[in-house]
Amino acid sequence: MAFQESARVKSVEKIAHNTFQVFLESPQISKSVSPGQFINILPSDEWDRVMRRPMSVSGAEGSDIGIIFKAVGSGTDAMRDWSIDEEVDLVGPLGNSWSISDKVPVLIGGGVGIAPTWFLHNELLAKGVDHYLIMGSRTANEHFIEHAPKEKLIMCTDDGSFGISGNVIAGLDTIREDLALSEAKLFVCGPAPMMEAVREVAVSEKIDCEIALETLMACGFGICQGCTMEYVSNGSSADTYRNKFGLVCMDGPVFKAEEIKTCYL
Amino acid sequence: MLKVKLKDITFDTPILVASGTYGYGNEVEGLADVSKLGGIITKSVTRLPREGNPPPRITETAAGMLNSIGLANLGVEAYCKEKIPFLNELDTKIIINVAGTAMSDYIETFEMLENHGGNHVGYEINISCPNVKEGGMEFGVSPKMTEQLTKELRSRTDRILIMKLSPNVTRIQDIGLAAEAGGADAVSAINTVVGMGIDVKKRKVKLHTIYGGLSGPAIKPVALACVHKLNKVLSIPIIGLGGISTAEDVLEFILAGADLVQVGTINYKHPSRGMTICDDLIAFCKENNMSNILELQGQLDK
Repeated sequence: MAFQESARVKSVEKIAHNTFQVFLESPQISKSVSPGQFINILPSDEWDRVMRRPMSVSGAEGSDIGIIFKAVGSGTDAMRDWSIDEEVDLVGPLGNSWSISDKVPVLIGGGVGIAPTWFLHNELLAKGVDHYLIMGSRTANEHFIEHAPKEKLIMCTDDGSFGISGNVIAGLDTIREDLALSEAKLFVCGPAPMMEAVREVAVSEKIDCEIALETLMACGFGICQGCTMEYVSNGSSADTYRNKFGLVCMDGPVFKAEEIKTCYL
Repeated sequence: MLKVKLKDITFDTPILVASGTYGYGNEVEGLADVSKLGGIITKSVTRLPREGNPPPRITETAAGMLNSIGLANLGVEAYCKEKIPFLNELDTKIIINVAGTAMSDYIETFEMLENHGGNHVGYEINISCPNVKEGGMEFGVSPKMTEQLTKELRSRTDRILIMKLSPNVTRIQDIGLAAEAGGADAVSAINTVVGMGIDVKKRKVKLHTIYGGLSGPAIKPVALACVHKLNKVLSIPIIGLGGISTAEDVLEFILAGADLVQVGTINYKHPSRGMTICDDLIAFCKENNMSNILELQGQLDK
């Protein structure tokens, strides 16, 4: 069940170039949120756009939840400027969550999509589950953790300025020596081209893979029916509902790679 | 103070939530107390399930949004089986919005709902969806077809029958008069206004269907003018909607001639806005020594 609650800003920290991590005291949402789920945020009391801004949760500790975002528009600019103790209107937790199996988790995140993979990474660490974390970005200053292949932390940059030179697929290739990907399960969230590249690899090599899709949303809880994704056709031509087009907010945001037609929404 | 009668039904408040902005009532569980609303108008239901339009279906605009959902819904059979039992338990009045593509199709859907034993108090008939090729718009732009459809449905129910009008017509009054002549108990005005969005960087349209329906505060002046024009010629009540976000907006619609109103797009951002509007309307009545909010009707000094 989702809640609407007034959360208190506890910290706003710049963790990388134009990238911010915020912790909010949100007792109801923090109690039930799982990695992969999101919240829908009212960036300010004076927010006069008609839509809230959906954000994946990047962590939950005690009564706090975290989010990670890049300031790229009026909503995220307002969020960057939140002051400590400010009250923020949130709806959540929304959507489904990642499902861990007995395969080795390989977490792949990039850009604004690092939040849900970061949440899962920390949860797996706490549970002592062995896993890989691959993060991609354009350049060095967008990364906020170390590149430590021995510890299974693999950072990639498009311009080669930090870690592996290349995208997350290049990063994924570096672990193939240690791990047969048929024994892995991928958990992916990032920009559409990144997710699409991983989806293609996962589908062609039949690797277990879950992708957390991102798209524009008006409500976040199934009412507006605006946040559509398209499923791979099952051949049925019958009159159906949510069989061809799923809702990212309700049926997702996490989908299996093989059921997604495209990550470009 | 807020009680309003429509046909033989008394609504606790004149605040309804608009079709397509409140799902089937269950989605807001935990987010809003629906018993404080006058009623819920459920998402359009059609004879068969519909997938709706491909993405992208929505985009934000200045003071509003464009949508082109394409009447995605589970179809009337599943609606009767899965939704009506839940709706019957809700502590608010339910009005079922029905959409169709042809006369026979509206009638079949309608008869299935009418015979299913729901506790709903009425129907709102969508003859004005701009987003599907056969979305009933051929009815919504034609006085003759509007009257014919209204008559057919009127002969099949004693519950409240509301025709939902489109602003995308030459003279909305003609469609309103046709609905009245066909026996409608009320009209609701307005559905969304046809619009489009363009992404300059990508040189691309923002909606898959190119055109969509504009809603939100941006269309309030359009809606007010439609309600005002309809009020001059109709004797049946008008349910006003289009961009209502505050109690002040509601007062404007009542002054323009509306008996009830619907809160729409704002529900996405504030699922309980309808309830806070009710509180504000009660405060307004008290401040102005009014025993009922509709005392405001007819007070407009033009």
